[in-house]
Amino acid sequence: MSRRVLITHADEPIGRRLTKTLYHDEEVERIVALGQGRPPRSFDSFLSGPGRRLTYARIDLAKHRPVTDLFHSPSLREARIDSVIHLPRHGPPSAPPTTGERPLVAGVAERTAEARLVLQHCLESGGIRNLIAVGSAFVYRLAPGNSNRFTEESELDLDPEVPPEIRSWIDCDMIFHGEVHNENLDVTLLRVPTIVASGGYVFMNPSLSSARGPRVRPLGFDPMCSLVSDKDVVRAVRLALHARRSGIFNIAGREAIPFSVLARWTGTPSWPIPGSLLRAVSRAVELVGGEDVRSALDGPHLRFGFTLDTSRAEHQLGFRPGYRIGLSRAGDGKLRIETAPA
Amino acid sequence: MSGETRVPEDERASGAQARKFVALGSDPFEDAIETDPFLDGLSLLGLEPAPVPTASRFERPAAEAPVRPVPSAARPQSAPTPILRRHWSSTPPLAEVELPEPEGWLERTLGPEERRRLAALTHLVEGEGAYDRFGFAPEVIKRAFPFFFGLYKLWFRVESRDPQNLPAEGPAILVGNHGGLLPFDAAMCVIDVLMHTDPPRLARTIVDRWAGTLPWVNVFYARVGQVIGTRENFADLLADGQLLLVFPEGMDGMRKTVTQRYRLQRFRVGFIEQALRQSVPIVPIGIIGSDDQSPILHDFRPLARRLGLPVLPITPTFPWLGPLGLVPYPVRYRIVYGEPLNFHQRFGPEDAGDSRLVQYLAKQVRRAVQLLVDRNR
Repeated sequence: MSRRVLITHADEPIGRRLTKTLYHDEEVERIVALGQGRPPRSFDSFLSGPGRRLTYARIDLAKHRPVTDLFHSPSLREARIDSVIHLPRHGPPSAPPTTGERPLVAGVAERTAEARLVLQHCLESGGIRNLIAVGSAFVYRLAPGNSNRFTEESELDLDPEVPPEIRSWIDCDMIFHGEVHNENLDVTLLRVPTIVASGGYVFMNPSLSSARGPRVRPLGFDPMCSLVSDKDVVRAVRLALHARRSGIFNIAGREAIPFSVLARWTGTPSWPIPGSLLRAVSRAVELVGGEDVRSALDGPHLRFGFTLDTSRAEHQLGFRPGYRIGLSRAGDGKLRIETAPA
Repeated sequence: MSGETRVPEDERASGAQARKFVALGSDPFEDAIETDPFLDGLSLLGLEPAPVPTASRFERPAAEAPVRPVPSAARPQSAPTPILRRHWSSTPPLAEVELPEPEGWLERTLGPEERRRLAALTHLVEGEGAYDRFGFAPEVIKRAFPFFFGLYKLWFRVESRDPQNLPAEGPAILVGNHGGLLPFDAAMCVIDVLMHTDPPRLARTIVDRWAGTLPWVNVFYARVGQVIGTRENFADLLADGQLLLVFPEGMDGMRKTVTQRYRLQRFRVGFIEQALRQSVPIVPIGIIGSDDQSPILHDFRPLARRLGLPVLPITPTFPWLGPLGLVPYPVRYRIVYGEPLNFHQRFGPEDAGDSRLVQYLAKQVRRAVQLLVDRNR
């Protein structure tokens, strides 16, 4: 059955790759790609291609009015979209975080507002039958003695002290989780750990992708970080699109490496600093309004590691990691983190 | 017969009748071993000096069958659950391991056999990665090994008995007695298992959740293959065919005072549940020497609790010599492996939910370990 798909944040790295992959998927008839910026240059050939299978629209998904206008627009109605893929806002690697940057309502992060609006319009629209959302695996509760491997049923971190970056992921997760059993809309939530892309880029790690400059970690701790290749994330989304299964699925690659090694591989070594000092600095930063930096300084994810149990995704979606992550020597002679087919 | 197994508490308290059943549901170590009815149960489990000459340790002619004080005696016997072999993490036989060149002066202190055994451990990590998902890094164990092997050979002069009872492959739970303030007994046991198995096996020690909060310690533990003791981790490792080393006494075993030396404390029962659920054998281990390495004269428990410490001891050398007082005495260690207890051949995974049965089996294991300790001291 052919699909007519809307992809959010298609101008960001994961979105670009997904759009390109789906464009070459014969079972996808039409793609509407949304993004905040100009259409990526890699879309040029697709946008001018025959049949206009791809349409690109600029939109700020965190704003109520433009999103409502888009979902009620004749062009979207004409596209007869039946599936929505909501990708996380992760921004370019090493960019300042977007959570809390422009709060729409007091205490609601941009990411959360986007998730609410997208879900609301999917539910209200008569034609959309399938919503696939990519969330973070950092929503799980990390505590002293947590299990090494989390299943989809593992406890979420509902601690009020959790850093804002992670809080926004938990909020998004719960927004989609609440509609998993909806009869009119198949909601598929994919929880992914740290995403690694070719060239040494890292996404969706609260400590590595949300702050500039050198990284820090509590002295005496070096938690294991579960990794997944960006290509595997795209594969998982595509499988979920065709499987049309409601539910929550953990998606992860085979590799897990210590945080310090991951930081070193991405070219920014992490400095070990006494935990109590980090906590104090994190509080001070929060007091002066630098909430966005807090998740990079403090939080259970800097002390306790985890990996993900992907057996549900394997059985129900047919997902198996197809890429390995390791070090390779780049053109400039430096060793960088890289993904390669397994 | 089964009626005799259920004795009310008030009956137990008085007279010869009570003497006969005193061990049922109570601490079996409060009475002399010889008068204990659990001895029969132990013979069933193959722990008597003379091995039971039957095909299965659990099967005996009905006429000989002793009182079996299992709480659920009327339960229909479960069919033995075979261990389903999937892809297990394993090491190659020693003969197939290429002898690596020693790296650094520390590694040169090791013989070829030790180096070969260490090289075999790299096969436990999938692919070409440096870490497994629990954080175990063969490179770290390679660097730490010479120090601990020095302790094993020269300081504690470990003597190993009956290592043939260690399973050559597949999952198993090694259960030992704990003691000695600092967990050198676990380290010695891990090295002993590594040195007496072919293919070489790494015993993954299950550690207390508390260890995960200790700076550096948590990282070191993870890198040398130790794992936080949660049900999921336990099940995960067993499903992976690994050898687990548990000390069910927990911290209670380590903070025993000299007056309680080699008297096993209460056992946690989680390992029994997992053994039944995953259908794996349990190998009892008696460790002799650990309780003498740092004899605790007194433990200031209330103060330790206030300070968030597991123990605040006074030993002949601590705190008088400062941190040096924690250095263990060079006592001779003896590690004795008992015959595997195959509870899973008699009870199925569904029995793991029977708390009385699980308690009973935990007591059987505790008794088995205590016997090994008592007979080899």
